[in-house]
Amino acid sequence: MPTIEHNGKSFTVDEDGFLLKGMDEWNDEWVDYVKGAEGISDLTDEHQKVIDALQEYYKKNGIAPMVRILSKTTGFPLKRIYELFPSGPGKGACKMAGLPKPTGCV
Amino acid sequence: MGYNPDKPMDGRISDLGPPHYEQFFPPVIKANKGKWLWHEITQPGVLMHKSETDDEVYTVRVGTARLITIDLIREICDIADAHCDGFMRWTTRNNVEFMVDSKDKVQPLLDDLASRDNRFPVGGTGAGVTNIVHTQGWVHCHTPATDASGVVKAVMDELFDYFTSMTLPAQVRIALACCLNMCGAVHASDIAILGVHRKPPMIDNKRITGVCELPLAIASCPLGAVKPAKAEVDGQEIKTVKVTVERCMFCGNCYTMCPAMPLADPEGDGIAILVGGKVSNRISAPKFSKMVIPFLPNNTPRWPETVEAIKKILEAYAKGARKYERVGEWAERIGWEKFFEECDIPFTDKSIDDYRLAYDTWRTTTQFKYTSHIK
Repeated sequence: MPTIEHNGKSFTVDEDGFLLKGMDEWNDEWVDYVKGAEGISDLTDEHQKVIDALQEYYKKNGIAPMVRILSKTTGFPLKRIYELFPSGPGKGACKMAGLPKPTGCV
Repeated sequence: MGYNPDKPMDGRISDLGPPHYEQFFPPVIKANKGKWLWHEITQPGVLMHKSETDDEVYTVRVGTARLITIDLIREICDIADAHCDGFMRWTTRNNVEFMVDSKDKVQPLLDDLASRDNRFPVGGTGAGVTNIVHTQGWVHCHTPATDASGVVKAVMDELFDYFTSMTLPAQVRIALACCLNMCGAVHASDIAILGVHRKPPMIDNKRITGVCELPLAIASCPLGAVKPAKAEVDGQEIKTVKVTVERCMFCGNCYTMCPAMPLADPEGDGIAILVGGKVSNRISAPKFSKMVIPFLPNNTPRWPETVEAIKKILEAYAKGARKYERVGEWAERIGWEKFFEECDIPFTDKSIDDYRLAYDTWRTTTQFKYTSHIK
């Protein structure tokens, strides 16, 4: 399994750069690392709000929220989520929040 | 400007959609769009369309493997440059069509195609077997139960004469999907080849925590066989799932949703054959294909059992069906019990539907024919 070193912390990731151990290994260094990899220049409160919403929903329900639920709870339309996370809610935001990689026919 | 990975959104162009198709119309197609009067098939693989302006366009259809190199695409472009002013098109079954605007240009094109080592077999028109719509298989997918390209090549080699001729009662559409996601057309084809599993998923508790959204895996099961469970990994209790094996029918949906539930197995996996589907409304309504052979082994690289089974069905159909009758229409006219007899297929309990709405597929009449299957 590939390992990523960033600011003195190491992370086990899969070939797409998602955390293999999920939120157990998640911390601020991971957010900082993904920020660079996803081309996000400044981490704003809005980014944080999306990450918090994803993690809260995942902890409570065991799944990532549907896009419409994420929009509703954060108040950000899909367009805004793409502006915050250029790779989108799945590849961008879920990766940064330490959620499992989206599955199915994606 | 090249792509700058430090500023990925700089100069980014998006939401353009595909280029407009009229840009790529041959001149004769552009001039006669919406004015076609009639068409005929002049020989297998060659069509002629007549326009009200008296223009004619001759179309030469050739088979392709669908999975092709850029080298082959360049060769197709060379042929289009030499004969068709640089224009060509792909069909919905992944054949290639070259179009010329006069009869004199047809023979030189056919001669050129014939000179290229059978890389461009002409055919696929009328009442024959045209290209097989198929999927990724072991070339690129992670959920297949069989291969796509390999099986398709083996079957088309055996049925090649039906591609270059028009001797069947009606066209026969063959399709392949390497798992029962059924990407493509297997659920509505005259003859369909479908990859199937025969063993339940193996649950990898070591990985499941980080890579799986457990409620999705549970909800993905059409039979409710996946249940939440607890397991111990390295002294720690984790949340996982368990599969009630007696309820599992090996569809693989849970593996699609959860990478820690693989079920592919070299001996368990193989091919089922379905027949009798169609999508057109010609004479009878569209039909779903029905499963007639539950399992044939994955016998690489030539899948002899699958090839033989398909040839047998096709030959029985060619012998028994009336003109214009599709495989499904023939089977329904003579009765499915006769279909099994004519095709020499042993009937098994696997063909009896037992999924939710199954009742409607059983026989609620005394009308049937005695066949070799009734002892």
